[in-house]
Amino acid sequence: MAKLYSRRAILAQIALGTGVAGAGFPVSHAFAASDDRPWAFFTDDEARWTAAVADVFIPQDEFPSASQAGVVDFIDFQMATAYGAGEGLYLDPPFPAGALAEQGYQLEFTPAQLLRQGIEQARQLGDIATMDAPARADHVEEMSNRDDITGTLIVELWKLTKQGYFADPIYLGNHDYAGWRMVGFPGAHAYYTERVDAHKRSVTPPPRGIAHDRDGSPYPPRAIGGGSD
Amino acid sequence: MARTLPKTDVLIIGGGWTGLTAAYELAHAGQRCVVLERGKKRHTATSFSAPEEHDELKYAHRYSHMMDVKKETLTIRNNRDQQALPMRRLGSFLPGSGLGGAGIHWNGQLWRPLPSDLQMRSHYEERYGKDFIGPDVSVQDWGVTYEELEPHLDFFERICGTAGVAGNLGGEARPGGNVFEGPRSADYPNPPMQQPISNTLFGEAAARMGLNPFPMPSANVTKAYVNPYGAQLHPCTYCGFCERFGCGYYAKADPIICVYDRIKDHENFEIRFDAQVLRIEKSEDGKTATGAVYLDENGEEVFQPADTICMNAYALWNVHLMLVSGLGKPYDPKTRTGVVGRNYAYQTVAGVDAFFDDSVKTDPYMGAGALGVVIDDYNGDNFDHSDLGFVGGGYIACKQYHGRPIGYQPVPEGTPKWGAEWKQAVRENYNHHADLVVHGSSVSTPENYLDLDPTWTDAYGRPLLRMTFDFPENDRKMSDYVMQRAMEVAREMDNVTSVSGTNLAAVDKHYDIVPYQTTHNVGGAVIGTDPETSVVNRYGQMWDHHNVFVFGACLFPQNLGYNPTGPLMGLAYWTLEHMKRDYLPNPGPLMDA
Ligand SMILES: Cc1cc2nc3c(=O)[nH]c(=O)nc-3n(C[C@H](O)[C@H](O)[C@H](O)COP(=O)(O)OP(=O)(O)OC[C@H]3O[C@@H](n4cnc5c(N)ncnc54)[C@H](O)[C@@H]3O)c2cc1C
Ligand code: SF4
Repeated sequence: MAKLYSRRAILAQIALGTGVAGAGFPVSHAFAASDDRPWAFFTDDEARWTAAVADVFIPQDEFPSASQAGVVDFIDFQMATAYGAGEGLYLDPPFPAGALAEQGYQLEFTPAQLLRQGIEQARQLGDIATMDAPARADHVEEMSNRDDITGTLIVELWKLTKQGYFADPIYLGNHDYAGWRMVGFPGAHAYYTERVDAHKRSVTPPPRGIAHDRDGSPYPPRAIGGGSD
Repeated sequence: MARTLPKTDVLIIGGGWTGLTAAYELAHAGQRCVVLERGKKRHTATSFSAPEEHDELKYAHRYSHMMDVKKETLTIRNNRDQQALPMRRLGSFLPGSGLGGAGIHWNGQLWRPLPSDLQMRSHYEERYGKDFIGPDVSVQDWGVTYEELEPHLDFFERICGTAGVAGNLGGEARPGGNVFEGPRSADYPNPPMQQPISNTLFGEAAARMGLNPFPMPSANVTKAYVNPYGAQLHPCTYCGFCERFGCGYYAKADPIICVYDRIKDHENFEIRFDAQVLRIEKSEDGKTATGAVYLDENGEEVFQPADTICMNAYALWNVHLMLVSGLGKPYDPKTRTGVVGRNYAYQTVAGVDAFFDDSVKTDPYMGAGALGVVIDDYNGDNFDHSDLGFVGGGYIACKQYHGRPIGYQPVPEGTPKWGAEWKQAVRENYNHHADLVVHGSSVSTPENYLDLDPTWTDAYGRPLLRMTFDFPENDRKMSDYVMQRAMEVAREMDNVTSVSGTNLAAVDKHYDIVPYQTTHNVGGAVIGTDPETSVVNRYGQMWDHHNVFVFGACLFPQNLGYNPTGPLMGLAYWTLEHMKRDYLPNPGPLMDA
C-alpha cells in the first residue's frame, strides 16, 4: 500500500521555490481543494521534482501554473494506468544503439519506468528545489538537450504537461478548466451549426467537460476512478 | 494444424471501406462472402456518441480507435545504409482496426484524381519531353483512365452524401467549383459546407490574386440524406471532434452506417471479428490462392478455404500479407526487379501559419474533418512545370478541422518552446490563427520500398514489414515551391500580421516517423499493364494468382496530391464491376501477362 502523502504540503514546498508562495494559491488551485489522497505512482520527492519541471513549462501568470492546474495529479494517474504500463508501445528487443531521432522512441522502458529511472538520474544533475525560477528554467533547458534518458524524460514530461493542462478534467488535470478557460475552448458539448459561418466576434461559451453536470455538480468529479483511459 | 472450415465463395480480408464495399457488392451478386476483421465489432450509434466520444486525450493522443502496435507494427529507416528500427508507437500515420477500419476516424475529405494524375508518366513526357522525369523517379501510368473510373468515383461520392460544388459538369465550367477537375457526370449530392471566417478570408485573398478557390469536397454531410444503399445520414454539427474520432451524429460518412448496416443481415454475408489473418495459402502449382489461415477469437488457428480472395487489409498490411505468404515476386532494390513492395510512396506535407490581428476571432473549435477552402492551381499538372525541375504538386487548403487544445497550440515563429512567453503566445493566438496546409504528391523512386525486416517480429511471430523511405529530391523542390505560393496567399489575407511556413520535406530534413503527417501510405502492390512493374493488372487482379484481387491505396503507382480514399474507392468499384461481370462467371486472368 502506498504511503499517504499530503499533496497540499508537497505543492506548498514547490511554491516556496518559485518565490510566489507569499501570494498563496488561488482558491481554484487543484491542491487547495485537495486532500491527503496518496499518490498512485509518485513518491513525494518525485512529485515535487515533477511539479517543479512542469511549472517551468507552464508557469503561473493570470492563469494557474501546470501543477496548480493538476498536471502532477494527471501524470500520476497516467503512470498508474494503462499508458504508464506501456499500452500502445511495442517493446520487443533488441534495442540497438545509434537510433536516429526520425525513428522515434527506442528505449526499452514503459513510460512509468522512464519516469522512475529518468527522474532518479535527473535528480543527480542538480537540486531543483533550491534553485530560483530562472535557474530552474536553465536547468530544464539543459536537461532537455542531453542525449540520454534525461533528454527523453524531458520530452515525455513536456508532452504529458500539455496533455494534463488541456485534457478533459476527468483525467484530473485541467482543474476548474484552467487550460480551457485560458485559450477559450468550450469543451465536449459541441454543436456549432448555427455559429460556424456567422463570422461575428462571438463570446465563447463557458467550458463544459465530458462529466459536466453529472450528479448536478458544476465541476466534474475529481475521483481517480473518473478517468476512462 | 489449423482447423479447416467449410469453403466459402469469397474471402475478404479486412472490414474497412474497401472490404465492406466488396462484401456488399459481391453478396448481392450471389457470392457467399466471409469477412475476416482483426479488430472488434463496434457501431457508430453505440460506440461514438457524445460527449464521451469528445475525449481528445483518449482518441486523438492515446489512439484508442487505431491499430495496436504491440500486435503489428513495422520498422523504418530513411535509406538502405541504415538499420531499420521498429515504429514503437504510432505517430506519422494511424491505421485503423475494428469494424469500419480507418474509415470511422477519417476526416472525410473526398477527392477525385485529375485525369492527368492517372497517366502521370505519359502525360508529363508528352507535355514536357521524354527526359523531363528524372532517372530516379519511377512514376508510371495507372493503366486505367479517368473516363473509366468516373462512374465509380461518382457512385462513391453518393455513398458518402458528399458536400461540394461541381467545377466541371460534363465539360461545362461551373462557378465556385474546382475549375481544374475532370468532367463529372453529376453534381455533388449535397451543398457545400458552411465556412468559418479564416477559410473565407483565405478564399477571398486567393480570388483577388486570380486563383480559383472552392470549398473542399466533404463527406461531412450537410443535409439529411439517404445514400444509394438506403443509409440515412444527418447534417454535420461542426463539432470539431472528427479526424481521429468516430461521428456519433451520423454526419460523417463511415463504412459502418453507409455500408455495413445495409449488408449485415444479407444471407450471403458473414463477418468474423477478432479474426487476425496470418497468411494466405497457395495451391500446389502456386497459380491460385486456396484460402487464408487466421487466428480466431480464441486464439486458435483456423483455415478458411475460398474460391476467390479479396485483400482489403489497408495498403501496408496488404503488402505485408503478400510478403509473408509468398504472393507475387518481392521487389529487390539492388537489381530493381520484382514488384511486391516496389513504388512505396507517401504524401508530402507542408504547413503555413497565418496570424490575424485581434479583429478576427476564429473560434477554431468549430470545425469538421473536411472543413476547408482550397485552391488547386498548384496541384498535379495544373501549372506549367517547364522551368521548375520537378513533377507533381499539391492542393493548398485553409482548414478548420479541429481546434482541440492539446493538439492545437499555434504560436508565431520565434516563440520559445515552453515557459511564460509560450503560455502567453498560446493564449493570444489560439483564436487568431489561420491554418493552411500544402497537401502534396509523392513520386515513387527505386529506393523507396517495402520488404520484410530481418530482426523484429510481430505478436504472431511473423517478420515485421520494413519501410525504407525518405523524401525524394523531386518532392522536396515541389513542396517548397507550393509552400511559397501558399505563403503568398496567406500574406494577402485580410488582417494577417505574420506568416510562417514549415516544410516537412525541407532539404535539411528526413522523413520522420514521429509527427503525424497523413495516413496516406500508398504503393507497394501497384496497378498497371506490365507484370514487370505491377503486382496487379488494370482490374486489380494479381498477375501471379488470378483469384486474388487487391484493394486500397497500395495500388497507387505513386501518390497524387489528393487524399486517397476517393481514388481508391473508385478503383474498388471498378474492380468489383469487372469481378462481377467478367471474372466470376469465368474465373481466369482478365489480362494476358
Ligand atoms: C486520421 C485519419 C484521417 C484520414 N482522413 C482522410 C480523408 O480526409 N480523406 C481520405 O481520402 N482519406 C483519409 N484517410 C485515409 C482513409 O481512412 C483510408 O484511405 C481508408 O480507410 C482506406 O480503406 P481500406 O479499406 O483500404 O483500409 P481500412 O479502412 O484501414 O480497413 C482495413 C481493415 O483491415 C483490417 N485488417 C488489417 N490487417 C488485417 C489482417 N491481417 N487480418 C484481418 N483484418 C485485417 C483492419 O483492422 C481494418 O479494419 C484518413 C485516415 C486517418 C487515419
Ligand atoms: S465535425 Fe461533423 S462530421 Fe465530423 S464528427 Fe463532428 S458532426 Fe460528425
